[in-house]
Order: sequence, then C-alpha cells, then structure tokens
Amino acid sequence: MLVRAIALVALLVVATLAYLWWNRRQGVVRQVEIPGALTPADLGAARGARATLVQFSTPMCAKCPPTKALLVRIAAEYPGVVHTDIDAEQRLDLARRLDIMRTPTTLLLDADGVVVARMNGAPNESQVRSALDALPPGPDYSI
Amino acid sequence: MSTSNDVQIDPRGYRVGALITFVLAAVALVCGSSVAGIVLTAVLVALFIPGATVGPQATLQSFLFRHLIRPRIGAPATTESFRPPRFAQQMGLVMAVVALVGAIAGSSVVFYIFMALLTAASFLNGVFGLCLGCELYLLFKRTTTRAA
Repeated sequence: MLVRAIALVALLVVATLAYLWWNRRQGVVRQVEIPGALTPADLGAARGARATLVQFSTPMCAKCPPTKALLVRIAAEYPGVVHTDIDAEQRLDLARRLDIMRTPTTLLLDADGVVVARMNGAPNESQVRSALDALPPGPDYSI
Repeated sequence: MSTSNDVQIDPRGYRVGALITFVLAAVALVCGSSVAGIVLTAVLVALFIPGATVGPQATLQSFLFRHLIRPRIGAPATTESFRPPRFAQQMGLVMAVVALVGAIAGSSVVFYIFMALLTAASFLNGVFGLCLGCELYLLFKRTTTRAA
C-alpha cells in the first residue's frame, strides 16, 4: 500500500508538470510560413481586407466560446480584420491540411490569405493584440 | 447529439464533481485491485452513468454542489455548455468500466493503468480546470474518421 501511495504522488507530480508545460504553450503566438493561400471557399467565409483570424473550434471545447468572444471583440477594433469560426469536426479536411491538433487553434491570415501566425490553445488579450500588431500596416488610405 | 438543446452549467460545479471523482479514484488506486478497490471502482462507474448519459448537471456530485456549496458562493460569473464535461464523463465512464472489468477478471495491470488514467484526468480537471478528453477530442476525430 505504501508503494501504491508513493506511485500516486508520483503520478500527480507528473500530471502537474505536464499541465504546467501545456499551459505555458497555450496561446503563444508563433510566426509561421505556410505556403499557399486560404481562399474564401476554403474557409466558407469572406476574408478581411487586411487580415483574418481563423479560429478552429469543436462542440467539445470549453474554452472555444470565450476565445471566440475575445477574438470578435478585438477584431472589431482593427479596421479590415475579421474573425471566422470553423467547426473542426465538420472540416476535418482543413484541420488535417493545417495540422490543427487542439482547439481552440487560431490562425492569422494576411491580406492575401496566407497563414502568417498561429496560436495553439486559448490566447489571452495581449497575445492576440501582439499577433495583430505584427501585421504589416494596412493600406495607407482611410475612408 | 448536436441536435439536442444546449444546457448551460456552472463550471465550478463540475470541477467540484471532478475533485470528488479524483478523491475516490485516488483511494481506489491506493487500495489496489482488492475488494475495497473493486467496490470503489463500481461506485465510480455508478456515479459516471448519469453524467455520461444526461450530462454533468444530472450527477450526484452536482446535486451535492447545488445544495451544499452553491448557496454559499452565489451565482457563477460565467456559464459553460454541458457538452464538453458530458464528453469528459463519458471518457471517465469508459476508463472506470475497463478498470472494473480488469480487476474482476484478475488483471491488476489493466486495473492500474486505467485507474491511473482516471485519477490523472480527474485531478487535472478538478484542480486546474483542464479537460483532457476535450483536448484530445479533435485528435481522436482526426485519427478515427477517414479522409473523404
């Protein structure tokens, strides 16, 4: 019984370390280069004139609805940036093509639809803003 | 499944429920595949059934939360869909059933593996709010659904 109790403590230590590792990676903005653009047909939605936040969700994802609310709110502050939410379970083709492993995963597309950054897991507000602020400036005219 | 109506639940409730599951699973793990361990595993299976079929709002743990804890801490700041935790309860039920069958069939290896999985998953859910099954859900779908 002592051996099993020690094994239990070891199990919980390993689980805690795994959680801390997972949590540190959550939402981190990674600049990526994926050749080829995602068309509006690929997305099933229109792209933004400057950038598009493409969020992958599933119905079994507890953090997806709050992430969607965050991304929609921030996208509204940036002219030409739109948010679109894709049910990865319905679009496994796209999930495989873009190597989506967990939800939410958010891709940032530039004006041409090319993936320039990705955030695996739920990002916080400053992570989303830093991803958008790293974009090239929009067209130098305003309405 | 997606056609049924959504139910919004108090996320603190299922975390309390996961902590109760964790305590029972940890004790069962320490007891080993003995009579006490088997009885505790059977109790876990029974506790998982309402959560895995109806949803986490139907479990004994959530009943205890609603009547003993919720009145003292007030309404939640946010609510969540019942679907992710119901999926977690289904995963928990599968692990508990396999552990129980393993123990009864005399395979203590099967019992220890699945009880350790159950203990770790309920620990992460209860203590950190991480739903392991939900994290792996898309990966599971990707590997089990053939490309069109």
